[in-house]
Amino acid sequence: MPTRRGFLASLAAISAAPAPSWADASAPDYLAAAQVRDGSYRLYGLDAAGAPVFWLELPDRGHAAAAHPTRPEAVAFARRPGDYAIVLDCARGEQVASLTAPEGRHFYGHGAFSEDGALLYTAENDFDAGLGRVGIWSVDEGYRRVGEFGSGGVGPHDIVRMPGGGALVVANGGIATHPDTGRAKLNLPTMKPNLTYLDADGDILEVVEAAESARLNSIRHLAVRPDGLVAFAMQWEGDIAAAPPLLGLHRRGSAAAYLVADGDGWRDMRGYAGSVAFSGDGALVAITSPEGGAAQVFDVETGALSAAYRIADVCGVAPADDHFLFSSGSGWIGDARRGGGGDETLPAWDNHLVTICALA
Amino acid sequence: MRRLLLLIVIAAFGAQPAQAADQRPEIRAAIEGHILPGFTRLATSADALAEAAKAQCAPASPPLRAAYQAAFDAWIEVSHLRFGPTEVDNRAFALAFWPDTRGATPKTLRRMIADEDSAVHDQATFKDVSIAARGFYGLEYLLYDQDLAGAGAPAYRCALIIASARDIAATSAAILDDWRGRYVGLMTDGVGGAASPYRTPDEAAQELFKSLMAGLEFTADARLGRPLGSFDRPRPERAEARRGGRSLRNVALSMTAMEAMATVLAADHPEVRDHVASAFEKALHLAARLDDPVFAGVNEPQGRLKVEILQQSIRAARDKVANELGPALGVAEGFNAMDGD
Repeated sequence: MPTRRGFLASLAAISAAPAPSWADASAPDYLAAAQVRDGSYRLYGLDAAGAPVFWLELPDRGHAAAAHPTRPEAVAFARRPGDYAIVLDCARGEQVASLTAPEGRHFYGHGAFSEDGALLYTAENDFDAGLGRVGIWSVDEGYRRVGEFGSGGVGPHDIVRMPGGGALVVANGGIATHPDTGRAKLNLPTMKPNLTYLDADGDILEVVEAAESARLNSIRHLAVRPDGLVAFAMQWEGDIAAAPPLLGLHRRGSAAAYLVADGDGWRDMRGYAGSVAFSGDGALVAITSPEGGAAQVFDVETGALSAAYRIADVCGVAPADDHFLFSSGSGWIGDARRGGGGDETLPAWDNHLVTICALA
Repeated sequence: MRRLLLLIVIAAFGAQPAQAADQRPEIRAAIEGHILPGFTRLATSADALAEAAKAQCAPASPPLRAAYQAAFDAWIEVSHLRFGPTEVDNRAFALAFWPDTRGATPKTLRRMIADEDSAVHDQATFKDVSIAARGFYGLEYLLYDQDLAGAGAPAYRCALIIASARDIAATSAAILDDWRGRYVGLMTDGVGGAASPYRTPDEAAQELFKSLMAGLEFTADARLGRPLGSFDRPRPERAEARRGGRSLRNVALSMTAMEAMATVLAADHPEVRDHVASAFEKALHLAARLDDPVFAGVNEPQGRLKVEILQQSIRAARDKVANELGPALGVAEGFNAMDGD
C-alpha cells in the first residue's frame, strides 16, 4: 500500500498538468470508504484487483462516494444522516470543496453526477416534511447548490444516472427518519417504497411501486446496466419467514421482475441486501448481505441463482470483467470465485464499492 | 476456497455453527422465561381489557382505564420482541401505531366517529380499518383525549371502544398462538429445517440479540428522542402515550423487560451479566428519580438535561449489550452488518 507521503510526493510532479484526469490519481478502478485499524476513516482508490492505489483521510465514517465522470474528483458522503459531504481531488490528494446540506435537509450517503459532469445530484431528506428531495449542485461553481426537486417518495437512498441521457433513477426506500430521532424508523406501518425515474428537471418519468404485500420491502440500492436495465436491492422490514425477494430487475416501461434463490437459499440473506451490482459483462447480477455473511449471484437472463458465497460481513460489490469484486467489513476484498484471505492489515471496507466509469 | 471462507465465518462468529438447539440453551431459556410469559400476559390482560370495555364503555370508567393501562403495560414489556409472530399480518402495527408522524390516528378516529363507520359492529370488518386507528394508541385517544373522548354520539363511541378493545385482544391472542404453535419450534428444534428462517442456532440467538439492540435504540431514539426534539425546538407534545400519562412509564417498563431478557441471555457469562445489569439499573434508577411522567420538562433547560441524561444512560446500556453481551454470545455484528444502511 502506498504511503500518504509517497503518494503526495509522486503527485507533485504532475500537479501542473492542465486537465487532470483519473490517470493522475494512479487510475483507480474503484473508490471505497473504510475504517483502518487505528479507528480512523479513509477513502481509498483501488485498482482492478482491489489493491489500494491511494487513500485520503475522511473526518468521520463515510458511506458511498460519487466519482466525477472525467475529473479525478470524488464526493465522499458522510454516513446517514450526515449533513456534509467532501469533494476530494484524488490526484492532488486534497479536499477541494465541501457540501453542506441546506437547513432542514440531510444527505442519505449517495449521489450521482450528470453525464457531462457539470452537476452533482444528491439524495436528501426534507425531514420536517418527511419527503425525499434531490439536491442539485454546480460542479464548476465549486459545488454551489443551485436547486432541488422532489425524489418521488420518502427516504431516497441511492441515486444513479441512467445511461445515455439526463435521466436519473432513485431508490425511494419509503422509510421516514428524522435527525432528532437518529435512525429510528418512524413510519413502518405506512411505508411505501418505490423506484422513481426522473428527468434532469425533476419531472417524474415513471414510478415502480411494489404490491401491497411487498410494502415492507425497502428499495435501497441500485445498479444500472449500460442498456438501461436497472437492478434494485431491498431490505425487508417484515417477518423473515415470509421469504421476501431482495433483488428486483426493471426496464423502463415494463413490469419489475423479482429474484429469489430457490429452496431455502433465501435464508442466507437474513432479509437484507446491502449492495447490488451487475457483472462487468452484464450477464450476472449480485446482491450482498452483511447480516447473513452471504453474497448471491443471479443469471440476469433466467433469473436463476448462479452462485452463492459465504463471506463474513460482505457488503461492497462492483462489476469486474466477467464477474464481481466483493469487499467486506472484515478486511476481505477480491473475486469470490478465486478466494483470497481476510487480511487483518487491510481496512474494514464500508458498505459500497463505487466504480469509476470513465478512465480518461 | 471452502477452507478460506470457513475461516472467515469462524473469525466472525467465534465458533462453528452448532448442530442442535441444545447448544444454545439461552434460546430456550429466553423463550420460556421471557418471551412466552410476556405474550401470555399480553393476551390475558388484553382479554380482560375487552371484558372491561364490554362491561363499562364510558371513557372515564375506572375499571376500563385500569384494564387499559394493565394491557398497555403488558404490550410495552414485549414491544422489543419485534420479529416472527408480531410481524405477521401487521399484528404489531395494529397494536402499536406509534410514532404517528402525520397525526393519522386522531384523523382516522375522527372520521370514523363522524361517519359512524359500521366496521365497529363486526370484528372481522374492524380488522380492515386503518391500522392507525387500531391498537393501544388509538384507544388512548378514545379514553383520554379531550376532544375525541367526547366526539360524536356516545353510543357510537362506546361501540368503537368495545370494538377496539376486542381487536386488541384478538391480535394479542393471535401472536401468542403463533408463538406457541409455530415460532417456538422454528427457533429451537426446527432450526435448519425448511420452514425455519434460521440456518443455525447461532442465527436464532442473533435474532434475540438484535431485537434487544433494536429495542434499546427505539426507547432511546424514539421514546425519548421524539419529545426531546432539538435543543431549539423541544417537542413535548410528541411524547409517547402522554394522554394516558405513560411516557416515562413506558421507558421504565421497556428497560425492565429488556434487562430481564439480557440477563437470561447472559446467564452463562456472569461477569457480562453483571456489567449489563448494572448499566440497566443505572438507567432505571434515573427513570425512577425523574419526576416528569410525560416529559413536559423538556421545554426547560434543566428538565431537558434530565431527560437527556436518561437517554444517555439507555445508550450506555445499549453499548454494554453491543460490546460485551454480543461478543460473549458469539453473535457480535460486523462493521457493515451493524451499520444496517
